[in-house]
Amino acid sequence: MEIELIEIRDFLAERPPFDALTEEQLDLLPKQLEIRYLRRNSAFPPEGTTGNYLYILRSGAVELLDDDENLVEKLGEGGIYTTQCQLIDISRASQGVATEDTLLYVMSCKTLQNLRDSEPSFNEHFSESMRDRLKQAVKTLKVSNNNNPLEILTGEIKGLLQKAPVTADVESSIREIALVMSAKNISSMMLMKDEQLVGMITDRDLRKRCVAAGVSPDAPVSSIMTADLTTVQEDTLIIQALMIMTKLRVHHLPVMRGDKVVGMVTATDLARHQSTNSAFFAADIRKAETLDTLASISERLPELQYQLASSSATALHIGDAISSLTDSITSRLIELAQMELGPAPVPYVWLSGGSQARREQTSHSDQDNALLISDEMRPEHAAYFEELAKRVCDGLNACGYIYCPGDAMAMNPKWRQTLQIWKKYFNTWINKPEPMALMLSSIFFDLRPVHGEFELFEELQTEILGKTRGNGIFTAYMAANALQHRPPLGFFRTFVLIHGGAHDDTFDIKHRGIVPITDIARVFALDRGLTQVNTTNRLRAAAETPILSQEMGENLIDALEFIASMRINHQAEQIGNGIDADNYMSPDELSDLERRHLRDAFRVIQDMQETLENRYQGGRFR
Amino acid sequence: MLDRFLSKESQRKRALKKVGDGVLHDYLSTPMVNKNTVCEDLIIVSLDLETTGLDPKKDKILSYGFVEVSHMTVRLAHSSHQLISIEEEIPEESAVIHQITDDQAATGIPLEEAMPILLRQLAGKVMLVHYASIEQNFLDAACRKLYGAPFVIPIIDTLVLARRLFERRNHTFQPGNLRLFNLRPQYNLPNYKAHNALSDAVATAELFLAMATDMFPNPSQCQLRRFITQ
Repeated sequence: MEIELIEIRDFLAERPPFDALTEEQLDLLPKQLEIRYLRRNSAFPPEGTTGNYLYILRSGAVELLDDDENLVEKLGEGGIYTTQCQLIDISRASQGVATEDTLLYVMSCKTLQNLRDSEPSFNEHFSESMRDRLKQAVKTLKVSNNNNPLEILTGEIKGLLQKAPVTADVESSIREIALVMSAKNISSMMLMKDEQLVGMITDRDLRKRCVAAGVSPDAPVSSIMTADLTTVQEDTLIIQALMIMTKLRVHHLPVMRGDKVVGMVTATDLARHQSTNSAFFAADIRKAETLDTLASISERLPELQYQLASSSATALHIGDAISSLTDSITSRLIELAQMELGPAPVPYVWLSGGSQARREQTSHSDQDNALLISDEMRPEHAAYFEELAKRVCDGLNACGYIYCPGDAMAMNPKWRQTLQIWKKYFNTWINKPEPMALMLSSIFFDLRPVHGEFELFEELQTEILGKTRGNGIFTAYMAANALQHRPPLGFFRTFVLIHGGAHDDTFDIKHRGIVPITDIARVFALDRGLTQVNTTNRLRAAAETPILSQEMGENLIDALEFIASMRINHQAEQIGNGIDADNYMSPDELSDLERRHLRDAFRVIQDMQETLENRYQGGRFR
Repeated sequence: MLDRFLSKESQRKRALKKVGDGVLHDYLSTPMVNKNTVCEDLIIVSLDLETTGLDPKKDKILSYGFVEVSHMTVRLAHSSHQLISIEEEIPEESAVIHQITDDQAATGIPLEEAMPILLRQLAGKVMLVHYASIEQNFLDAACRKLYGAPFVIPIIDTLVLARRLFERRNHTFQPGNLRLFNLRPQYNLPNYKAHNALSDAVATAELFLAMATDMFPNPSQCQLRRFITQ
C-alpha cells in the first residue's frame, strides 16, 4: 500500500520520541496531524485554538519564556512543545513567541494519549516525573557489559562470589573446623557469633598457630583465629580489593552486605581474574621498581579510560578506577622515595585533594595533594619531608599528573604542615571565608588520605567537620560559591543556550555540568558534617538527612552520572582520534535524545541551585 | 467566452440552468461562499492534479490529491490521494514528472467515479491551487464531457498571488521564481522531497497560510476577496 504523506511520516520517524513508534503507527500518524503557520514575532502556542495540543516544529524557531520573560527554552526544527498535554507542567515556560517564520505540526493531546497508551517505549519520553526521566537517561547509558576484558577495573567484588559463605560457630573446636574445611575443600572459614562475623581461620593459621605451635586440636578455634578482620563491602571494586590485599599482605577478605557476610574473596580468585586481563595496571604499579616504569605504565591511562568508556562502564566506576590507579602510583612513588630516604622520622599522611580525593578523576588531571605531619615533628625533620614531597610531586608530574597551576601540592611548604598548623588553616578559612579560601575549597575541603597514618587525617577531618557542621555563615559563603557555575539552559540548533539568551558554540561540560553538582554536594557535606568525599556518596548521605530530599538526591546522582558519562564519552572519542582530551563539547556531537536528557539534567541542577540560593541567602547575615 | 465577464455566482446560476440532474447539479446548487468571509472562517480545498500533459482536450487526469484548510489550519485528516485509471499508455515525457507508472495507474478508479468525490468535496468551498489553469481547465473539461455543463468555483492561485507580490514590490523575477518549490523557502517552509498530487496540495496549502499571514498580519483584514484570482 502506498503511504500517503510520506514526507511528514519520515520527518517524524527519524526523531525521538516518534522513532519509538511502530511502522504501522508511523504510517497512520500524519493523517492525525494538523499544520499551522506562525509568522515571525507571533505568539506561541498559536492563538485562537481550542483544546490542548502537542506542537512539533517542522521549520522555524520558538522561544519559551517564564513569567518574568526570562528565556527558558528555545525550540528549533524537530523541537516539541508538550506543555498542554502534560498532567504536571515540568517546564517553567508560561509564554512563547515564534522568532522565525515557523511551520508547526499539531497533534491533539488525545491522539498523543492513544499513542502513549499503546506504546510503552514512546510513553517513557513523556513522563511527567523528572525522577523517571533521569532514570531513563541513565538507562540509555548502560549497554550490555558482558565479557568485558577490563572487568577487573570496574567490576565489583560481588561478581566474583560464586559460593554461599561457609561459616561455623566460633565456639567450635579447631578439629571440627579442620574437618569441615577438608570436606568442603576450602582454604578458609568465617567464624560467627550470634550471626555476626567475629573471626576467620585459614589453612595457614591451622599450620602455624595450631600444629607448629603445638596447640591441641580440641582447643576452641577462637584461640587461634584472626579476630581483627578487614572486610570489604560487596560493591567494592575488584581493583580496590586487590589493593587492600597487597597493602595488608592478606590473602582472604570477607565480603559483606551491610553487616551481613555474603562471601569470601581470595587472592587466588583475583589471580584467576588477572590471567584473563592484560591491563592489570594495579599489580604492575605495585611491582614497578623505577620511576621510568611507573611513567610508562601511567602513559597507558588515557588508553585505559578510552577502553573503559568503550566498554560502557559507568562514569562513577571509571572515576573510581582511575583514581585508584593514581592512588597506587602515588603510594608506589612514596615507597620508592623511602627506599632511598629511609622511613619517615615521625608519622605523616599523604593526602590527595580535588577530583582524586573525590574518586572522580579522569586520566591525567592536575595533581592536587598535601602532606599532613604529626605534631611530633621537629625542625630537623623538615628536610626529610621536603625531599619526600619533592620526589613524589616530581614523580607524579613525570607520570603525566602535571604540577598544580595553583601550587596546591605537598612540594609547596605551605601545604606540608603539622596537624596543628592544618587545623589553624582550616579555622581561618571557616571563620573568614575569603575568596582565597573559597578558591581552595574544591581542593582542600575534598581531602582523602592515600598513604601513611590515616588516623592523622581522621583527627583533622573531625576537627574540620565539627567547625562547619551547622555553621550558617560559613555554609552560606560556600553556597554562594556553589552558585558561580550555572548550567546552560539547553541547545538550539548548533548552539548552546545560556542564561539571558546568549549563544555559545561549545560549552565546558566540566564547569557547567559536573562542578555545579560537586559544589552542591560539598555544601551539604560540610553543613551536615558528613565524612564522605565522593560526590555521589555525599549526595546519598545528605539525602538521609533533612537537608536534601530522597528524590532530589537521586535526581542529582543520576544527573551527575549522565553528564559525567557524556564527558567521558567525549574524551574517549578524542583519545580515540589521537587528540588530547578536553572538556569542551559542541552541540553537533549530541543526538536529539542526548540533548533532551542533558537538558533534564541541567534543569535538576538549576532547581537545586535555586533552592540553595533561597535557603542560604539569609544565612550570611544571621 | 462571455462567462469571463460574469461573476462566479452568475456563472454558477447560468450553468445550473443547463445541467441535468446528477452530481454536478447538486454541486452547482450549493451557494458560493461570500467574498467578504474572513480567512479564519473559510473552508478551502487545496487541490493538485497530475495529468498526462497540458492540453485538457486530449490529455488525461492521472491522479488527484487534496487537503482541506479551515481556521487557517491544514487538516490532514481531511486529505486524500487517488490514482485515476486511463485507457491509453502514459506518455513517457509526463511520467518523468509525476512518476506514475502504467501499472500504478491501472490500480486507480475511473474518472467517472473520481469526479463525484471531488465535486462533493469542493461544493460551497474555495479551491486553492498553484497555477490554476491546469486544475480549472481539466476539471471543466471533465464536467463538460461527463455532465454537459461547465465547472465553476472561486479560486485562490498562489502563483498569481506571488506574481502580484513581485510586481507590487517592483522586483524583477524569472518564471522559475514563481514555482511552488522556489517560493516556499522565502517563507521558511521546508523543502519537501517527495512529489505527488497530495504532497503538492499540502505544500500549496502551507504556502497559502504563509502568504496570507504575511500579507495580512491582522486576521480581520484577511478576507477572501483579497485573494480571489479567478
